[in-house]
Amino acid sequence: MKFSYLIGEGFKNVFKNKKSTGASLMIMCATMMIFGLFFLIGQNVNYMLREIESEQGMQVFIKKEATEIEIEKLKQDIQKIEYVSTTKYVSKEEAFNIVKERYSEYGRFLEGYDIDRNPFKASYVVTLTDLSKSEEVRTQIEKLDSVNNIEMRDKTINALVTIANGVRWISFGILVILIFISIFIISNTIKLTVHARRKEISIMKYVGATNSFIRWPFIVEGIIIGVVAAMISILILGVSYNIIIGKIMESSITNMISITLLPFSEIVELVIVVYLGLGIGIGSIGSIISMRKYLEV
Amino acid sequence: MIEFRNVSKTYTAGKENVEAVHNANFTIEKGEFAFLVGTSGSGKSTLIKMILKEENPTEGNIIINGKDTTYLKQKRVPYLRRSMGVVFQDFRLLPDKTVYENVAFAMYIVNATPKHIRRQVPMVLSLVGLSGKAKMYPNELSGGEQQRVALARALVNNPSMLIADEPTGNLDPETAWDIMTLLNDINMRGTTVVVATHAKDIVDRMKKRVIHIDKGIIDRDDKKGGYNSEI
Repeated sequence: MKFSYLIGEGFKNVFKNKKSTGASLMIMCATMMIFGLFFLIGQNVNYMLREIESEQGMQVFIKKEATEIEIEKLKQDIQKIEYVSTTKYVSKEEAFNIVKERYSEYGRFLEGYDIDRNPFKASYVVTLTDLSKSEEVRTQIEKLDSVNNIEMRDKTINALVTIANGVRWISFGILVILIFISIFIISNTIKLTVHARRKEISIMKYVGATNSFIRWPFIVEGIIIGVVAAMISILILGVSYNIIIGKIMESSITNMISITLLPFSEIVELVIVVYLGLGIGIGSIGSIISMRKYLEV
Repeated sequence: MIEFRNVSKTYTAGKENVEAVHNANFTIEKGEFAFLVGTSGSGKSTLIKMILKEENPTEGNIIINGKDTTYLKQKRVPYLRRSMGVVFQDFRLLPDKTVYENVAFAMYIVNATPKHIRRQVPMVLSLVGLSGKAKMYPNELSGGEQQRVALARALVNNPSMLIADEPTGNLDPETAWDIMTLLNDINMRGTTVVVATHAKDIVDRMKKRVIHIDKGIIDRDDKKGGYNSEI
């Protein structure tokens, strides 16, 4: 009874000041989206880092016309080279299936391809015992027969680490700014309802309402604004992210560049947790701040 | 029971100290009816505020229902206030709630069950003579009726005492007398009633205990007095 009463009052508050609630919703959404942009870039960079770190070294693509014997010989040749740690064969079917599975939700970009009409090449993933020697290893492998091209991974790693750190700092900074702006905005909106209901609050105090009883409806109001802003942001972010990723994947397959990006389904849970956490936290802190003055009776 | 022991209250306004109440000593027993009289600025309101623990005394102790509230923690204040009903000169009703809802509101706050609320509210409304007006809004009522709603709200949680701060200040003499009679009825049912007022006529007519305060000093406490000493 008590609980539903407090929640109900909170909802009533939300609709009492439609304009200012709408304004704080929009500002929160905007700040959340900017944060989301960097958050998603950060997640992708981290993802690429992890992907690549697990296979440090290089990927040696094999000429399409190479026979099985030649492929086997290539492996033995690579293993003989100094600093080579492991070589793992990835058939072109495997490459196809890995990509197809990971991007199943973006099915369209593999349209017209199947196992028999396969755009991928077979490759050896070569890891090294010493990454700094990768150039030497590369020149040696390049001299071998059946090698089509080599894609280095250590170079990209250094660049990615720099990007990842940069993105991390930027998103952290934006997060801090977002939290401050949003708390300020929400507490101002709630101040309006608190002010509009100050008479009610003073009556409640005289009748013997505890501070938490008075405070809860306003906290609920703050949380509702925060959560709604979070949900709108997640929705817009998810839709636009999917569109952008789809476009990037399409162009990458046509240009034969291998880019690995996170599908939204793999980060949606994290995004929801982060955003709801932000929404609830900002909403409740904002309302507690706005209430302080009015509770001293 | 309300007991003031050597209570003084000094307000600090800038560099100036103003003593609103000086060394007040009195006891209002359980079930008693007492008027607190004096001109505006005499310290009457400060006494009321200290009973409600809206203000704390600078010196002395205030004992309510056997408990010294002087050092009561802020967190416990709501529970102290549940033992007293309060009405004010300006009624302080919620304009967007009906009479019924205004009274039920006080019960929500103390976590009463819906069943209890449905039973208790009509009972209190009939006590103050407003049974037929439960669905009306405060602005559809006369001043006297609004004060009755405020009284119903103050009484609905069965407080042991009722504190009224100028309850008839906004009412015409006849209505004021009706409200006072109602307060007397409430007192007859066992509730301690404290009324701060400067309505001389009513005080004289009621023949109740009168505590007179002037410039912060309680200068008279008559068991069955009038507004002025000579009766």
